[in-house]
Amino acid sequence: MPDRDVSLLRPYLLTSGRTEPIDRNLELEAQVQTSELGAASHPSLTFERRDIVALCRRTMSVAEVAAMLGLHLGVARVLVADLAALGYVVVHRPPAALTGDPAMIERIIRRLEAIS
Amino acid sequence: MKPSAEPRTPTPVKIIIAGGFGVGKTTAVSSISEITPLRTEAAITTASEEADRTGLIPDKTTTTVALDFGCITIDDDIKLYLFGTPGQDRFGFMWRDLVLGALGALVIVDTRRIDECYPAVDYFEKAGLPFVVAVNLFEGKLSHAVADIRWALAIGDHVPLVTFDARVKLSVRDALLTVLRTTLERATTAT
Repeated sequence: MPDRDVSLLRPYLLTSGRTEPIDRNLELEAQVQTSELGAASHPSLTFERRDIVALCRRTMSVAEVAAMLGLHLGVARVLVADLAALGYVVVHRPPAALTGDPAMIERIIRRLEAIS
Repeated sequence: MKPSAEPRTPTPVKIIIAGGFGVGKTTAVSSISEITPLRTEAAITTASEEADRTGLIPDKTTTTVALDFGCITIDDDIKLYLFGTPGQDRFGFMWRDLVLGALGALVIVDTRRIDECYPAVDYFEKAGLPFVVAVNLFEGKLSHAVADIRWALAIGDHVPLVTFDARVKLSVRDALLTVLRTTLERATTAT
């Protein structure tokens, strides 16, 4: 459960006032993975950027980054997009044409049917 | 701690779980997610009804909305995320983000408060996102006939309407399968 008292001003301080990520379409489910450069640069990073680079040694989604670090979703997106632009993390995004890919959808259906 | 030691990075896909407050969205996500659902918050900006007391922000106020999500590993290559979102008009800005790239949506209805899912139904229809309406059977009974619910929601015959129990894993799975089959039908008829 996130801290209810988290300041509403703080998110915007973290991102220097920006509310739109560099890549404004970064999906909440996009997978974030720390790059070798990010791992090597970890000691020189500060605060949330450092936390994200440490956390994403295990690949996880933007939404998980937000939840784990108690950040607003919009803030997590901005920070991840910044780190990706700097090469500290690699972002794996969902395929753009997925909803029109019957083979992929059929595969998900088959796997889900097998869940018990 | 080498990134190269990681298994292959899965392709993320998602289904949106929408509906009014307390209809069972988080319960549904919990029932089938392989992780304990995580909660995060998104800031939303709404017009303020009264002047801000500090005087710093003249006509807008920022509030937050909770978003609960979980995931299911489909196989080594695909990870399905389930995002539960409160379906309210004033969260429109967040919906755009959520819907982007989604396979489809499950709109959960509590028959005692059918009107609470109107914004979600409206939004997904306008966005052209395949969706299924799922009536959550609280205590295993239906307080309206299914045909009445379809009429009340003014949804066409092309929108599947199912009943399910958000507390039961396989029931949630079947509801998600209905969403995916609707998406598949859309994908195959479009080509």
